[in-house]
Amino acid sequence: MAENLPSPGEQVVIAKPALQSVFKALDSAGYTLIAPVLRNEAIIYDEVSSVDELPIGWTAETGPGHYRLEQRGDESFFGFPAGPSTWKGYLYPSRLKLFSVSKNGGGYQTVPNQDVSPSYAFIGVRACELAAIAIQDRVFIEGPFQDPHYEARREKAFILAVNCTEPGETCFCASMGAGPRCTQAFDLALTELRDAFVIEIGSPLGARMLLDVEWSFAGALELGRADQKITDAENQMGRTLDTSDLPGLLYDNLEHPRWDDVAERCLSCTNCTLVCPTCFCSDMKDISDLTGANTERVRVWDSCFNPDFSYVHGGHLRPNIRARYRQWLTHKLASWIDQFGTSGCVGCGRCITWCPVGIDLTEEIAAIRDEA
Amino acid sequence: MVDNTLDELLRANPWFAALGEPQFEAMLEIASMATWPAGTLIFREGEPNQNIYLICEGHVALDISIPMRGRATILTLSDGDVFGWSAVLPIVNIKTASARATHDTRAIAFDGIAMQEACERDHELGYHVFRRLTNVVAARLTATRMQLLDMYATGLEGD
Amino acid sequence: MATKQSTLQHIPTISLDPMLPHWAAIAKIQDETPGVATYALEFQDLAFRTAYSFLPGQFNMLYLPGIGEVAISISSDPETPHELLHTIRVAGNVTQAIERLKVGDQIGVRGPYGSAWPVEVARGEDLIFVAGGIGLAPLRPAIYHVIRHRAEYGKITILAGARSPEDMLYHDEFDAWREHDIEVIPTVDRADESWQGRVGVVPMLFYSLRPDPRNTTVFTCGPEIMMRFVAYEAMARRIPTERVFVSLERNMKCAVGFCGHCQYGPTFLCKEGPVLSFAQIEPFYNVEEF
Repeated sequence: MAENLPSPGEQVVIAKPALQSVFKALDSAGYTLIAPVLRNEAIIYDEVSSVDELPIGWTAETGPGHYRLEQRGDESFFGFPAGPSTWKGYLYPSRLKLFSVSKNGGGYQTVPNQDVSPSYAFIGVRACELAAIAIQDRVFIEGPFQDPHYEARREKAFILAVNCTEPGETCFCASMGAGPRCTQAFDLALTELRDAFVIEIGSPLGARMLLDVEWSFAGALELGRADQKITDAENQMGRTLDTSDLPGLLYDNLEHPRWDDVAERCLSCTNCTLVCPTCFCSDMKDISDLTGANTERVRVWDSCFNPDFSYVHGGHLRPNIRARYRQWLTHKLASWIDQFGTSGCVGCGRCITWCPVGIDLTEEIAAIRDEA
Repeated sequence: MVDNTLDELLRANPWFAALGEPQFEAMLEIASMATWPAGTLIFREGEPNQNIYLICEGHVALDISIPMRGRATILTLSDGDVFGWSAVLPIVNIKTASARATHDTRAIAFDGIAMQEACERDHELGYHVFRRLTNVVAARLTATRMQLLDMYATGLEGD
Repeated sequence: MATKQSTLQHIPTISLDPMLPHWAAIAKIQDETPGVATYALEFQDLAFRTAYSFLPGQFNMLYLPGIGEVAISISSDPETPHELLHTIRVAGNVTQAIERLKVGDQIGVRGPYGSAWPVEVARGEDLIFVAGGIGLAPLRPAIYHVIRHRAEYGKITILAGARSPEDMLYHDEFDAWREHDIEVIPTVDRADESWQGRVGVVPMLFYSLRPDPRNTTVFTCGPEIMMRFVAYEAMARRIPTERVFVSLERNMKCAVGFCGHCQYGPTFLCKEGPVLSFAQIEPFYNVEEF
C-alpha cells in the first residue's frame, strides 16, 4: 500500500460532496449500497447508487404511535431519527429459502440454498443499530450453533456508521448504553458537521474507501465540534429508561396488574417485533408444488405476539395478550440478559413510534417499578 | 410375614413418632393386628363404619360399584397408607367404598369410635391424630383432583 | 451442589448448516399403545450413521417434506446409537403423517439436540424415575443406561403412570427391567376389573416410598401438571429441587436457539433443556401462560 491512507482510529475530514466518492469506491468494490431514502412518507433503507438519493434536508417527528416527515430547512444528510427499517432485514431476511427437497425414487434429495449471499454496504448505521447488529451476532454466530446465511451476509457487510446527532422523541439509546456515539465495530463512522464530515477510520478496509477522496486529518476544531454534537444528542434523548436490575424487577413482577393494563391497549399486531432491530424469532414453513414432489423450506420472521407462536399440540400456551406482551418485554429486557449476556433493547424507540396505540415500554417499566 | 409385636410395629411407624408415652399407650390400647390373604374383602361399601386401618405391608384396593358398570377401583394403597378414615370422621356412618386386599396384607386396626373417644378425652392426642388424618384426606383430595384433570388427555406431555 | 444443576450438553458437529436434515429410512415400526408406535430409523449416509451418537434425554427433529418438522425424544439405548428408536404419539399434523408411513419410507432427521438426563451426576445415588404416559419414552434411554451400569447406582425405582392399562407404555419390558434389581411400579388413573396393578395418579406412589433425601435423584417426564406434583411430593420428602429433573416441552421449531419459540424464561428448552432441574424452573412453574 503505497497510498497515503489514514489508519484505524484516526479521524479525517472530508467535504460533504466527497461522500459520493466513498459511494463510488464501495460500488467499485462490489458492494450493494443500502442507505436511507424517502419512500412512502417515511425514511427507510433501500438500495442506492448516489448520495442524491439520501433524504437530504428531511427529518421526522416521532412520538408514541406517531411519525411525520418534516423539512429541516437545512441540507443535512443524516439529520433524522431512525425510521421503520432495520438492517436486520438485510442480514436476516424476513423470508429466506433454507433448502429445497425433491422426491427421488423412494427417498428425498436435499439441495441446500447455495445462492451467493449479497455483499452489502450499509450507509448510515446508527450506534443503536451497531449495538443491535452486535446483539444479533450473539444469537446467530456466537452461540453453539451458527446460522450460515446470517454469518455469510454479516462477514461481507461493510458498515459506514453515523454518529447520531438527531435523536427522536422516542429515543433512549443513552439509557441502554448503546449510543449515540458509535463505539462498536464499523469500517467508517462519520459525524456530520454543517459543511463537512468528520470520519473515524474503523478498519483498513474502511480506509481504502477513501482512496479517491480528498481528506485531511481532523483538527481540534472539527473534533471538538463533532464531539459537541454527539454530546448534545446524548442530552436530547426524548426518553429515559431506568435499567437498574431489570431482570429482578420483571421476574419479581410476572403477576403485576400492569400487565392487565397494557393488555387492554395492546392489539397484538406484531409491529413492535417487526421494527425491532434485535427481535429474531422465526418460523419455518414448507411450500410444495402441486404434485407434492418438490418442496421449499423457508424461514420467515415470526412474532411472540402471534397466537400460534406458543402452540403446542393440544393448545396455545399464551392465549391471552397479557401473557404475550409480558413474554415480549420480559424477554427483551430480562431473559435476554440471561441468554446472551446483553439486553435485547438498544433504545432505538422504534417499538414506541410504530405501535399503533402508542404503547411505550419505558412508561410500562416505570409503572411496574413505581408500583412494585 | 414378620412377627412383630403390636407395640414394636406402632413404635416403628412415623404416625406415632410424635406422641408422648401416655398418648402412645392410649393408641396401643385400642389397636389390634389385622391380616388378610390376597383377595379378601375387608369391608363393603354401605357397611357401618368400624375400624380405621394403617397398612404395614401389602396392597389394598378401594372400589366403588357403579350400577351396570360393575366395580371400579378408584385407588390402590400400600405400605404406610391409611384407609377407612371415615370411621373417625363420621359424616355418614357407613363405608363409602369397599376395601379389598389385592395382596397378602397386614395392617394395624383401630376402633374408630374408641379413637374418637380417646381424642375427645385428650385433645393433645386429638391434635396429633387429626393432623395426621388431615394429611391423609388432603392427599386423597390432591389425588382425586389429578384424576379429575385427566392430565393424559390434555396433550401437553412428553412429545 | 452446583454441579448437580448442570445438565449435560452434546452438540452435533457433523452438519455445517444446522437446518439441513439427514435422511433416514424407517427400518421397523412397532405398535405400542393406542395412538403410539415406535419407529426404528436408519440413516442413509453410512458415515453419518457411524458417527451418530446421543445422550439419554436428547431429542431429534423429524421432518416430512411438505408437512413439517416435530421434536421427538430418542427412546433407545444411547450405547447402541445405530439402533435409533423414536416412540411417537399421534398428536399433530406431522405425527399424523408419520403414522401413515411404512417400513422403507424416509424421514428427515436433525439432531441430537438438547440437554440430557444427568446420569453421571446421579451416579452412586438412589434414583427414582417418574413417568406419565408417553413421558416414559424420553426416560427409557436413561433407564437403559442405568441398567448397563447397574452397579454404579443405589436403589432404582420406576413409577410409571398411564391413563388406563391399555395406555401403559413398554409394559412388556417391565419384567426385564425388574431382573436388574429395579422396582417397577405401574399405576393407572382408571382401571377395569382385569387390572391387577395400582390405581391412582403417579405422584401418589411417593407415599409408599421412603426415599433418602440425602441420596436420591428424581428424573420425571410426563404432563406438566404431573411433573409439578411429582416435584411437590419430592420436596415434601426433603429431596432438594436441584436433584429433581424434569423434561419440558415447548414449541420447538429450529432446535438450535435461533427461532425463539421454545423459550422458558431465561432458557431455550432446545439448548439448555429439555431436561432441567426443578430448581431452575421453580420461579416460573406456577406463572400462568408463561
